[in-house]
Amino acid sequence: MKVKVFFIFITLSLLMSPVWAQDEIDISVALDRDTIGLDEQAVLEVVLSGTDQNLPAPQMPTLPMFEIYSQGRSSNISIVNGQISSSISYRYMLLPSKSGVYPIENIAVVYKNKRYKGNPVELTVLDRGVAASPLLEDSAVDTEGKSRDYFLQAVVDKKNPYVGEQVTLTLKFYIAVRYYGQPELKEPSTTGFWTEVLGNSTPYFQKLNNRQYKVIERKYALFPTQTGELTIGQAIITTAVASKSRSRRDPFGTDLNDFFGRGEEVTIRSNQLTLDVKQLPTAGRPADFTGTIGKFGIVATPDKTSVEVNQPVTVTIKINGTGNIKSVAEPIIPELPDFRIYKASSNEKTAILGEEMGGTKIYEEVFIPRKPGHLEIPSLGFNFFDPKSSRYRTLKTKPITVNVKQAEGYAVSPDVPYSQSGVIIGKDAADIRFIKKDIGALTPKGRLVILTPLYLAVNGLFVVVFAGLVVWRLRREKLSGDIGYARSRQASKMAYKRLARARSLARLEKVSDFYAEISLALQAYIADKLNISPHGLTSDRVTELLKDKAADEALIRDTVNLLRQCDFARFAPASLTQADIDRALEEARQIMVKMEGVRFV
Amino acid sequence: MSKRLLISLVTLLMLMFSSGVFAADAEADFQKANQLFQDKEYADAIGLYQNILDEGVESAPLYFNLGNAYFKDGDLGRAILYYLKARRLDPSDNDIAANLEFARQFTSIQMEGVKLNPISTFFESVVGPYRLNALAWLSSLLFILFFILLSLRYGFGFRTGILRVGTIIILTLLVVSSWMTSFKYRHDYLTQRAVIVAEECPVYSGPYEQSDIELEAAPGLEVEILTESGEYYNVLFENKRRGWIKKDLIAAI
Repeated sequence: MKVKVFFIFITLSLLMSPVWAQDEIDISVALDRDTIGLDEQAVLEVVLSGTDQNLPAPQMPTLPMFEIYSQGRSSNISIVNGQISSSISYRYMLLPSKSGVYPIENIAVVYKNKRYKGNPVELTVLDRGVAASPLLEDSAVDTEGKSRDYFLQAVVDKKNPYVGEQVTLTLKFYIAVRYYGQPELKEPSTTGFWTEVLGNSTPYFQKLNNRQYKVIERKYALFPTQTGELTIGQAIITTAVASKSRSRRDPFGTDLNDFFGRGEEVTIRSNQLTLDVKQLPTAGRPADFTGTIGKFGIVATPDKTSVEVNQPVTVTIKINGTGNIKSVAEPIIPELPDFRIYKASSNEKTAILGEEMGGTKIYEEVFIPRKPGHLEIPSLGFNFFDPKSSRYRTLKTKPITVNVKQAEGYAVSPDVPYSQSGVIIGKDAADIRFIKKDIGALTPKGRLVILTPLYLAVNGLFVVVFAGLVVWRLRREKLSGDIGYARSRQASKMAYKRLARARSLARLEKVSDFYAEISLALQAYIADKLNISPHGLTSDRVTELLKDKAADEALIRDTVNLLRQCDFARFAPASLTQADIDRALEEARQIMVKMEGVRFV
Repeated sequence: MSKRLLISLVTLLMLMFSSGVFAADAEADFQKANQLFQDKEYADAIGLYQNILDEGVESAPLYFNLGNAYFKDGDLGRAILYYLKARRLDPSDNDIAANLEFARQFTSIQMEGVKLNPISTFFESVVGPYRLNALAWLSSLLFILFFILLSLRYGFGFRTGILRVGTIIILTLLVVSSWMTSFKYRHDYLTQRAVIVAEECPVYSGPYEQSDIELEAAPGLEVEILTESGEYYNVLFENKRRGWIKKDLIAAI
């Protein structure tokens, strides 16, 4: 008994041990460096360890002084003495935005409704390395005077643009060491701009401080949408470069990391840029300026210049050039007494012309002449601000003369409220025809004859009448014993039945029966059709009857021949062959077919 | 025939022509409205014509006069709408066709340069001049004739060549007229058509306020309603352009 209890205890404790172990969770926080410069970055590593393989992700506190980028996670499971232990490490990159000493604490993980807190760490950010727009050669040198392996430079073509003027931002990535894979770019933030990527240029080489750098450029067109100070944020490139440290070099002189193409993961940040965006000058601003900025040209072309009154002329207005094509406003069309004017469509195409954004905007306007003569669509004005010359410019299209011919028709009555009096529009009349004096037949709204019961009843009635008549006739036939009619109707059916039976007898040993059946089929058919007795239908009588019904001579001859053949065969069956039988059957069939054409009634 | 059957038949017939009860009132209103029209009191005339319609009755001259009043009142969209309603009831009336054509000249956008399906255009022109009710009664007449001929043949046993040929001819005519009736019914009543009545009518690319404006439609343009979604109809213009229009900007014919 005691032994049994002991075993139960052992079993239970064995079963429960992992449950206890599961509750153990450990969180440790570490920085790769505790002091960094403003333009450097630190890697924060959070390691969670426990026996459970499904550990939750840690909760990061908000760290306003840093930009935080997750660098991924790695997990490790080990089994030591049957004990499973699992650890997951999360890596975060911290990019400081201000110098100072910052404690990093309150990194925690919640596991099984319990909160585990990590150890606090501290990161000191020094403000060295902050140089205001350094010279390119200076950029290639770090704060300690050593030549840099790589750096990222952001430059703009102008620092003091007008609002709406294109600023070209160029990111230049200089790298003098080997790198692996495709460098990953995090685009700079451009709040306050309308941004369009112009694209990457092919890499080239440049020598700085006696060192050869490979340069990769990426260009953006930025259009400031507001005035004042605007900041272009840092761009960040993450890439793997050949390891800098030579300490791990093996005796054979090759770096294994380099050999396997892994290298060291680095994060490279560009400088921030601040632009001061100017307002457009007020001097010389046209009264009807709509805010188009750039350099444009305008052309207006009509689709035809000779039309009739009231026939439309479509004028295509094409504006193209450089600048933000989306901001191009529709040209101003003045009120024209001679035309009715309608907007038909507009579309735009953006294009990149070298380093400048540009494109084409096309408006289609429809002009409908109201009267005949040489009418003029005046030049259309279009204005824009040219930031290169800091001047407002107004362009005008060439005036278009439309030769409008008199349409044939009538001058519209002044009583028509849609057009000016005297304008010829009516093809056949000057005004609408007058109202009707008689209200006509009023019907309930939407009533359709086809959906009324009366319509269905009338049509249905005749179907019923027809059905009734057919039934009545069939009954009358039956009652009056109209055998003749019934026989006539059944004649061919019966005859074909007999022929079918004859076919089943078409053998030499049944030859008498076969010919009897054929003979009967033909005689019965004729008798039924004429409502007479089939007995005593001699060949002569058959000829006589068929002639009476205007049957074909050949048909009569064939029929009589076949009947004679039947009589003969019944009395002298021995002389017949199977071929005779088959031929007789075929002849009978053909006679039946022809007989159907005879009008017996 | 039993007495009860006779009574129910009479009741049915009375129901058919019960509109006659309103006729006296409607006739008086109609003449009054016509007088207002002649006095160029178009808005008042419209009100009175509408009153008659509100009684639940309709007639081609009523719609025609209402269309005229709207035309003179400057509401081109509704003028065309009522001309179309009038034409549907009486497609052979010259005045309606003339005024519809006249009014259409004033729509600010003409849907031109469109090749419509030539087969359906041909069919439309075939059935165009006939009233649906006339076609329906013609079909009915042919149907009855067909059954009378069938009755002669199968009910009374007449079998002559003329009867046979006559039956075939009547059957052919019956098929043609039934087809015309159903085509007209589908074209005029089952296909939902509408006219733009609002002065400004943006046509959107989707059934939302935020959608792009595809084009600006003008009052008097006819559209076919394809589907609806929320407050919008998906419409097909005569030139086969599609778009979404707010429901209250158009009126169904």
